[in-house]
Amino acid sequence: MHNLALTLLLLPIFGALFAFVVGKINKKLAFWSAEIIGLALFAITLKLFLSYDGAIDIPMTWFTLGDFSIPFGIYIDELSLVMLLIATGLGFLDIHFAHDYMAEDPHQPRYYAKVLFFIGGMILLVSAKDMVALFSGWEFMGLASYLLISFWHEKKDPADAGVSAFLFTRFGDIFLFAAIGLLFYLTGTLDLVSLNTMASNGEIEKNMMYLIAVFIFIAAIGKSGQFPLFPWLMRAMEGPTTVSALIHGATMVNSGIYIVARLFDFYVASQALIVVAAFGAVSAFIGATSALVQRELKKVLAYSTMSHLSLAFIGLGAGSLAAGMTHLVNHAVFKALLFLGAGAIIMSAAHIKDMWKFGGFKAKMPLVAFFMGIGALSLSGIPPFSGFFSKDAVIVATLTNPQTDGLISTLTLIAGVLSIAYIGRLWFLTFAGESRDKVLYEKVKQPSLFWIALPLGIMAVATFVMGFFQENIAELVSGAVPHEEHIEGLLIGLLSTIALLGLLVYYYYVKRLDLTQKIAAQPLMQAIHKVLFNGYFVEFFIHYLAKEVVVGGFAKAIHWIDTNIIDASVNGVLTLSQKIRALLAKTDTGLASNNSGAMLLGVLLLLGILFIGGAM
Amino acid sequence: MISAFTILFAVALLSLLFHRSVLLKPLSLTAIALSFFFTLQGATVALMGFSSSEHIQLFELVLEVVLFALVLHEEEDITITQTLFLGASSVLLLQADNLLSFIISFESLSIISVVLVSYIKTKEQAEGAVKMFIAGSLATGILLLGLAFYVMGGGLLLEPLATGGSLFMDVGTFIMLAGLFYKLTIVPFHGWAADTYALVRHSHAAILSGVAKTVAALAIFTIFAPFLATHLELSVPLLATLAVVTMTLGNFLALFSKNIARILSYSSIAHAGYMLLAFVAVKSSYADEGILYMAIAYIFMQSGAFLALDSMKKHYGVSTLEELQGFSAQNPILAFFFTLQLFSLAGIPLLAGFLAKAVVFYAGVDAGLWWLVLIALLNSALSVGYYAWIVKTMYFDKLTAKEVFHAPVQFATGAQVILALGTLYFGVFAGSIFNIS
Amino acid sequence: MSAIIFIFAPFVLALLLALFFRGKSSVSKFVSLALFASMLSFSLDLFTKLPNSGYLDLGSFLAVPAFSFTLSLQVDMLSTIMLTLTSVMLILVAFASWSMKNQALYYSLLIFFSGAIFGVFMSTNFLWFFIFWELTLVPMYFLVGIWGAERRIYAAVKFFLYTHVASMLILLAFLLIYKEAGTFDMTLVKEGMLLSPVLIWWLLFVGFAVKMPIFPFHTWLPDAHVQAPAPISVLLAGVLLKMGAYAMIRMVILLLPETSQQYAWVILTLGLITLFYAGFMALYETHLKKMVAYSSISHMGLVAIAISTMSYAGLSAALYEMIGHAFVIAPLFLIAGFLHHKTGSWQMGDMGGIMQKAPYISAIFVLAGLGALGLPGTMGFVGELSILISAMHSYGIWLAVVALGSLFGAGYIIWTLRRVIYGEMSELVAKTNFKMNIFEFAALATFALFIILFGLFPNILFDFLNPAFAQFTSLGGAL
Repeated sequence: MHNLALTLLLLPIFGALFAFVVGKINKKLAFWSAEIIGLALFAITLKLFLSYDGAIDIPMTWFTLGDFSIPFGIYIDELSLVMLLIATGLGFLDIHFAHDYMAEDPHQPRYYAKVLFFIGGMILLVSAKDMVALFSGWEFMGLASYLLISFWHEKKDPADAGVSAFLFTRFGDIFLFAAIGLLFYLTGTLDLVSLNTMASNGEIEKNMMYLIAVFIFIAAIGKSGQFPLFPWLMRAMEGPTTVSALIHGATMVNSGIYIVARLFDFYVASQALIVVAAFGAVSAFIGATSALVQRELKKVLAYSTMSHLSLAFIGLGAGSLAAGMTHLVNHAVFKALLFLGAGAIIMSAAHIKDMWKFGGFKAKMPLVAFFMGIGALSLSGIPPFSGFFSKDAVIVATLTNPQTDGLISTLTLIAGVLSIAYIGRLWFLTFAGESRDKVLYEKVKQPSLFWIALPLGIMAVATFVMGFFQENIAELVSGAVPHEEHIEGLLIGLLSTIALLGLLVYYYYVKRLDLTQKIAAQPLMQAIHKVLFNGYFVEFFIHYLAKEVVVGGFAKAIHWIDTNIIDASVNGVLTLSQKIRALLAKTDTGLASNNSGAMLLGVLLLLGILFIGGAM
Repeated sequence: MISAFTILFAVALLSLLFHRSVLLKPLSLTAIALSFFFTLQGATVALMGFSSSEHIQLFELVLEVVLFALVLHEEEDITITQTLFLGASSVLLLQADNLLSFIISFESLSIISVVLVSYIKTKEQAEGAVKMFIAGSLATGILLLGLAFYVMGGGLLLEPLATGGSLFMDVGTFIMLAGLFYKLTIVPFHGWAADTYALVRHSHAAILSGVAKTVAALAIFTIFAPFLATHLELSVPLLATLAVVTMTLGNFLALFSKNIARILSYSSIAHAGYMLLAFVAVKSSYADEGILYMAIAYIFMQSGAFLALDSMKKHYGVSTLEELQGFSAQNPILAFFFTLQLFSLAGIPLLAGFLAKAVVFYAGVDAGLWWLVLIALLNSALSVGYYAWIVKTMYFDKLTAKEVFHAPVQFATGAQVILALGTLYFGVFAGSIFNIS
Repeated sequence: MSAIIFIFAPFVLALLLALFFRGKSSVSKFVSLALFASMLSFSLDLFTKLPNSGYLDLGSFLAVPAFSFTLSLQVDMLSTIMLTLTSVMLILVAFASWSMKNQALYYSLLIFFSGAIFGVFMSTNFLWFFIFWELTLVPMYFLVGIWGAERRIYAAVKFFLYTHVASMLILLAFLLIYKEAGTFDMTLVKEGMLLSPVLIWWLLFVGFAVKMPIFPFHTWLPDAHVQAPAPISVLLAGVLLKMGAYAMIRMVILLLPETSQQYAWVILTLGLITLFYAGFMALYETHLKKMVAYSSISHMGLVAIAISTMSYAGLSAALYEMIGHAFVIAPLFLIAGFLHHKTGSWQMGDMGGIMQKAPYISAIFVLAGLGALGLPGTMGFVGELSILISAMHSYGIWLAVVALGSLFGAGYIIWTLRRVIYGEMSELVAKTNFKMNIFEFAALATFALFIILFGLFPNILFDFLNPAFAQFTSLGGAL
């Protein structure tokens, strides 16, 4: 088992190198080696999952620093395995899908190497035994995400998006890094399991625990695209859609939630869950409302991802590990489905992303429309698809927890219900109605059955089947069968609201599109639209803060101080010595009379001093 | 009795007959080599009022090596003769041990110095010579004034300088010191030096600032140290002030100068300040070694620098920094030697100048004057400013539109090699100074 | 072979090569490579001979008992590590300088430098240490002044004078030590012998702080770094600054532990200021090489913080970070210099899209950049993590601010990568040919390899670094 686990960890890294090197020989080889390695990773994970008998625990020391040993261990339990299944399973499907999606790209070796490296990072993250290994996986993924977002680095927007992604997530990571220091200082251990145990036993000081929990949560916010560190996630859509699907829809963005789940006992003991829930609620609302007005296909999905990750956070924040994590698992599958579906559309539609140019694509790609429809239903929370169960569980959790019942639960409800509106809008605008750009419509091709439709189909089936195994998933991720509380009437209310909203969207976006455009032209609507379209101007604000305050303010001020005070005082020595020299040069007249005078004066002074000295 | 003095003096007289003869240089060089040999054997001036010590003997050997280099470099017959005379009187001065013999040999050194610079060819040289002459006569007057006080207070001429006695004797001693400081170019007795060193021929300046000054410094220290050590309450503040003023003034005036000879003149004044530090720190047992080391290092590096400058002027017409630009491309060998001596003057390690400073400064620290040493150290750092600037001009600046011309390898290069080896040797082998006695 | 050969043979070799082989550049090139390689094997060999603790005596020369002035060569773990690092850096720098102009003189100055720096790390006599310390300035002065960029003269003179002034303080401290302890032998001096340890501490601290450099004594460095030719910038950052840190450890922390304990807060505070101050400077910079220079200063701030802990872990961390910094900053400097050499511009705004023209060089630049911002898998991360842990162990939770340092790193590095490596090709880049000499590329690739190798397997280094401070196991931290 140990060897299998170690293979799982090392294979992606060496695989990435291998794919790159053989890809240099022949581009196709890069894909095939990635495909095989992806499949092997999934197979290994499946084997580990099926023959699971207790956690795989491999403690290791990374290095010895003076008296301290810095650990780097592997720990794979059921929670890890579920995450591993998502990472390797979706990773494999994603690589498979990329065969067509990336077919024309000249840099395929680089692409597959980076994707495998990413999967390796994710595997490391979820198999980490301690904070150091976890942080390493965390950062590897961040790096891979950065490199893949700016995969088309020769263009301005992807390059900028990469910077944005790295810096936003890095801002959060710094707090995780600080948390490592704090934990090591306070507890002497970085082991995740022992940290949970120590926290539950009250062996760590409460205030410090709260601080550390908040620090870690800031990192989670950054990685999972929550308020206020979400703008990078929308920009990340500049990357290849396969990347968006895997990294920014299904796997990496989950890591923030995973880390909170992994340290759940710690969070419970630190009483910081309410912070998680609060930020989650705000993010859920922002994501859901902003998703309503986006023009670009992928941006709708990005905001939707943000909103749904928030729901998972809220589930955890409300105290229900099961609700949060099942939603995470369900979301990963249907969001990968939706993203890859979007990829299929974009690829077929000559890489246009603007939904207003689509319409009526149903006829061109019925299978994609069907599978995406399933994904959309699951996302909206329609039974019997998986999304329904977990979303319901999250909402119930917020309503039953007195701490979150109120503002948080209201925002959650709104965000949960609005899903149907934006995903319905997306589906209708793309697949239903009349084509709005005839030229484009004519160009749309039927995607390949094996490379494109098959992975979508597998995921569609998965999201359907998973709906029937919700309790098993919950048990796997939370370690116990959850005893769901049910609230009378909630289900009926929710479902009827969703249905009503769905009909409204159908009416406004398929039947009376002209009316919608008229409403949107109203000044008030335009103002609201502007706020929502720009993600509540959070990016503008942060950008302003970074550019004008940090760089243009502090850095510029320090630069001024350095030039005009510190370095100037060094260079001032030159000016000063020039002045002193000019002063002293007055003694140097070059006149013999002055020389003699000075000598005599010197003797006289000496005499004076001697007689005064002698007299005393 | 044959000694360095007698050989040098006799050959100096003899050399007058060999002017305009090719034999002059070999003869003089042989004489210096002989005197070196005799000094090594321990021969001294066997006269009353003269004695030697191991320190003095070592310095005499060094002096003779430097004289050898000076003569090797020199192309004017008359200067060669005068160099020999000057060498002879230096030996006298170094070995003088009572007041009268000291004053006699000191004055003879002064007289020969004046004769040396009175070989005037240009108006500038005349100006330099006259300034030195005026200051020199004044200094002699002051010296005699002091001597008069000293004798009036009951001091004896045929005895070593008294360390204590009447007030008049003390006053007289201090005034004599003031008169002697003229040769050491201590402020305010320095006015002449800046002009004279810069204006007279560079090979003369090498003798004046390199040889005469160091010999005087060492001799004055030998005679006056016991007196100063017993009058610390007066000598320390007084000489410390003079030392600080001298080195600071010298260094600042050297900064931003355009004329290379002038920079070296001011740097010579600044070095007088460092030497004076040994006088201040006289109560430390390291003051002896300090002044000796400083004298040895200084005689090599100052003569070397001025001789290099002389060659530069002779072959390339270089006298200002502007003309020196890119000189390393013109003559890399000469540029290298000049750089070496300048770095030694700046106190860069592995060269004699550094260890000399280290020992003198340590004497200061040992005497409890670390703040004074701090000032001296900062002064030394300041001096790097202009030395490094000369080096920068030679190496970093581009050669300005002159065609590259390689001067033939001459005796002058031999002189440079000797002086550079001296600077290097005493920069590494401090044992040759400390491990005697 | 006697150790002293590695100090004085380079001086003689340098002189011979500079005077008699001026025309034959390849001779000096291969002589220097052979010399540096033998220096490396000598240093590696020392590891096998070192005793478990304390010094290995390599002989005493030129004894002057009357002035305690004896060239005594002794090495311990700390100095052997520094010797090894220096030899490695010298070899790589020699490769990286392959297409330099006026090679005979260039390589002989490099050889001269190698002798001086070996003297610094081997001599245990304060005065001889100082001699070699000062002597390193001379070749550097010429290397910056002759081969430097536009403002090379300003930079060379400023560097020479600034560091020389600092050296004067060090010399005064050594003279005071001799007066009070009666010896220049640093293995014999104990803090208890000194009458004015505080004065000596301040003189030494300021003197070494200039070399490290620590705020506010850093302003010579950006100028020197920027104007120096790229391989010399590497030498400055990789060896010369390390000399300052080495001296700070050996002659401030280990020599004067009690006074250091009293003033550890000074080192800590200035280290923290340096970390952030240089970070802000780098953030604002649009000049590529200056940005790298400030990044280098910022990392030395981390080293200062680690040194100030005076603990077993902290000093090991400092040493690791010193090595990591050398390997990480070197490719950044080399590539910055290379880009300037090819494009003629220093401004990041003039570049962009270099990845499209020179993918492998760009990839190394990215890797080194990631090292500089402390990404796991690189030496930068291990260094930062070790320093974070050891600093917090000594000073408590508020030292978590050290983590913030790597945010600055991310800011300036990532933004630099965006402006230089990624994005659309600028006109300047489009018309430039980025062909690199194979030897220079080999040096770059080696640095890149080290960054990853020691970043993934830090224990390879820590097995050597920890024993250097084993005496601290019983001492505990500063506070």
